[in-house]
Amino acid sequence: MTPVEIFTLVSQMKQKKIHILPVNRVEGDLEIRIEVENNRVCDAWSAGIMYRGFENLLIGRAVLDGLVLTPRICGICSTSHLKAAAKALDMFFRVKIPDNAVRIRNITLIAEKIQNDIRHAFMLFMADFTNPAYQKHSLYDEAARRYQPLTGETTAAVVRETKRILEIIAILGGQWPHSSFMVPGGVVCVPSANDLAQCLFLIRNFRKWFESRVLGCPIERWLEVKSKADLDVWLEEAESHANAELGFYLRFAKEAGLEKIGRGCGNFISFGSLDLPNGTGVKRGTKNRQFLKPGFFHKLEPRPFDQKKITEDVSHSWFEAGEGGQHPFDGETRPYASGKESGKYSWAKAPRYDAMPAETGPLAEMVVASNPLFIDFIRQDGPSVFTRELARLIRPAYLIPLMEQWLEDTVCCHEEFYQDHRKKENGKGYGLLEAPRGALGHWVKIKDAKIQKYQIITPTAWNASPRDASGFRGPCEEAIVGTEIKDLNNPIEVDHIIRSFDPCLVCTVHAIDAR
Amino acid sequence: MSLKLLWIQCGGCGGDTWSFFNAESPNVTELFSSLDVELLWHPSISIRSPNNLKTINEDLLSGARELDVLCVEGSILRGPGGTGRYDEIFGKPKKDLVASLANRARYILAIGTCASYGGIGANTEIEATGMQFLREEKGGFLGEEFTSASGMPVINLPGCPCHCDVVVGTLIAIGSGAQLELDEYNTPVEWYGMMVHQGCTRNEYHEYRVEERKFGEKGCMFFHLGCHGPLVRGPCNKTLWNNRSSKTRVGVPCFGCTRPDFPQQYPFFQTRNIEGIPIELPEGISRAHYMAYKGMAAAAAPKRLKTRKTGI
Repeated sequence: MTPVEIFTLVSQMKQKKIHILPVNRVEGDLEIRIEVENNRVCDAWSAGIMYRGFENLLIGRAVLDGLVLTPRICGICSTSHLKAAAKALDMFFRVKIPDNAVRIRNITLIAEKIQNDIRHAFMLFMADFTNPAYQKHSLYDEAARRYQPLTGETTAAVVRETKRILEIIAILGGQWPHSSFMVPGGVVCVPSANDLAQCLFLIRNFRKWFESRVLGCPIERWLEVKSKADLDVWLEEAESHANAELGFYLRFAKEAGLEKIGRGCGNFISFGSLDLPNGTGVKRGTKNRQFLKPGFFHKLEPRPFDQKKITEDVSHSWFEAGEGGQHPFDGETRPYASGKESGKYSWAKAPRYDAMPAETGPLAEMVVASNPLFIDFIRQDGPSVFTRELARLIRPAYLIPLMEQWLEDTVCCHEEFYQDHRKKENGKGYGLLEAPRGALGHWVKIKDAKIQKYQIITPTAWNASPRDASGFRGPCEEAIVGTEIKDLNNPIEVDHIIRSFDPCLVCTVHAIDAR
Repeated sequence: MSLKLLWIQCGGCGGDTWSFFNAESPNVTELFSSLDVELLWHPSISIRSPNNLKTINEDLLSGARELDVLCVEGSILRGPGGTGRYDEIFGKPKKDLVASLANRARYILAIGTCASYGGIGANTEIEATGMQFLREEKGGFLGEEFTSASGMPVINLPGCPCHCDVVVGTLIAIGSGAQLELDEYNTPVEWYGMMVHQGCTRNEYHEYRVEERKFGEKGCMFFHLGCHGPLVRGPCNKTLWNNRSSKTRVGVPCFGCTRPDFPQQYPFFQTRNIEGIPIELPEGISRAHYMAYKGMAAAAAPKRLKTRKTGI
């Protein structure tokens, strides 16, 4: 790694230096500025440094055009944007979609999430275990053997397996990425029994690989791990557990001290996940008919969720706006490239829930869903790089059985996949869901059959948010502050913290690509 | 000798990279090893800090290093007001770095519609342009006369995203010294010398003008649902997506994402038509003959098509 450049010594105080760290192996490069005193980070700024103007180019377009354009926001979670756009229009048209369409939307979203979780964990996050900073780590050689970019044994397997699971989206939706097979009223495809059988074959094969290579045990055994103590028992229980990727992660992370860094703001938000169809073998559910409930978690306590409490603040973002935070139905996107003037430093807006920053992603999903293992971790240790990445790594264990069940249900259900609806020219709607990286929302207003306003809040906007008018830092910024950096020329601790949030800056659309 | 490759992302979504990872035969790791690719930089793969990219650029400028293939993903952002400040790297406009790299590269591949023609952000506030085209117009970022060190113009590989087989095939052609025949948009004829419609499993419906009016109905989507398959060049039904299918096969209209004017300025999911005949007809066709042909074809449509008793 080349030396981090020290751009300017901005701070007046002695010993304090500002470092600018462009970050790769996130979706879109990100620039983090940190202020360091005696090898300790005393302040941090997360900057989105690209604007793509997606929300504005939708204005004036036809009602369905968001289904084609918004998936193009993100090359790794286009199906999630498609689903959010379709859900917003379901609400606008007031159409109830057939159960089969609910299942197909869930199945394809799950395939995309699994792909993302696995690719992020191994190709983007664990690639850092091969960093020279770990030369003295007892597992360094093995990490290099597993995770060397392109050539590592695990990396090569991940390249093979993740593209196979995406075939499910192609069978049902034509292609991945960037299809538009979800429409208000359902989905356009009418998969045959053979198509569904092919999908089942693909997910069952993936399950075999995930169980043998990643977990080292059957999914059912893993789901019995419900506390930190259970996790210790599980790790010691069998050689296959310790040697599989999960076991290796646990061992490597412990020696590297990943549980000690990247605490964050302590608030979690999840928009809820996977709408439940009628007549499903999937038992668990919540009052609002989603597999995982939406929620906000503050100071270890869950709070009821209401999307009306979401606002976006642009006090530190390169946008013009009125006073205070705006709900997305009222929000505007007026770029204002003012440079360093007036403390603005990012193309990301600052989303807030009830005026508070919140972390989102697999860990937030687990916490809000009261997953006992992660609640135990948060209660005992607080959030960290370690728990954040663990949540991502094992999330497929929860998703794979769901997909299998819904595929089996669809085979047996000879119903429609699309419900036609009446034309409508004025109104509004929103679509909220859990994308691979967390809470994603689309808010659309339609006037005279044209898009009058379209606002998008992405998971990364929550996580990599800049400060707000009250001076609250974004979750990623907050997680970096206080970190001890061993080698300022190779600040691996900061890299881990940032990547544990799996930032996707192409997604942060106003549109930043904090590149 | 190794093939030195550098991949840079500009105003885009990263989808061309992930589409590239769909490649099956060979897959990305096999391709790089068989072509002996030395990957100087890729933002999603490289282990080193992005500061390394700055060093690489300096080495290229001083001649200490060579660059065989520059892959550009995403459009070049020139906004606001020509400054390029909507997309920065190292505190400077990304476009300046791209220009510098382009001047040292033997071959330049514009991967995806944004890099080829400007795509999503063309003619919007971000002032996006393609590398050597802005929509249909030659010129773009580097100018009409530009050629890379090999004497070739920027090779356009459009598609939103670009199909992985196109990237793989183009790299193999460059690596093996094969001739790449380009058309008037500087796209390789091998993949852009046919209509998206070729190979679509709904072709029989098209032939007899059995139309889909409602989503999920079997039929051809060209006449009502805005499908661009017969109008636009691309390999989607020649070399399938994710080795499985294509949008048109499952009932998603082709949105013409390989075309220089993508995204179109008129609504998706509907066909602009006069008296039921699409305003836009396949390239070079005689409107009067086409109307007569389609009228007769519809009258001749077999019952199994009209009753949708087919396996698509």
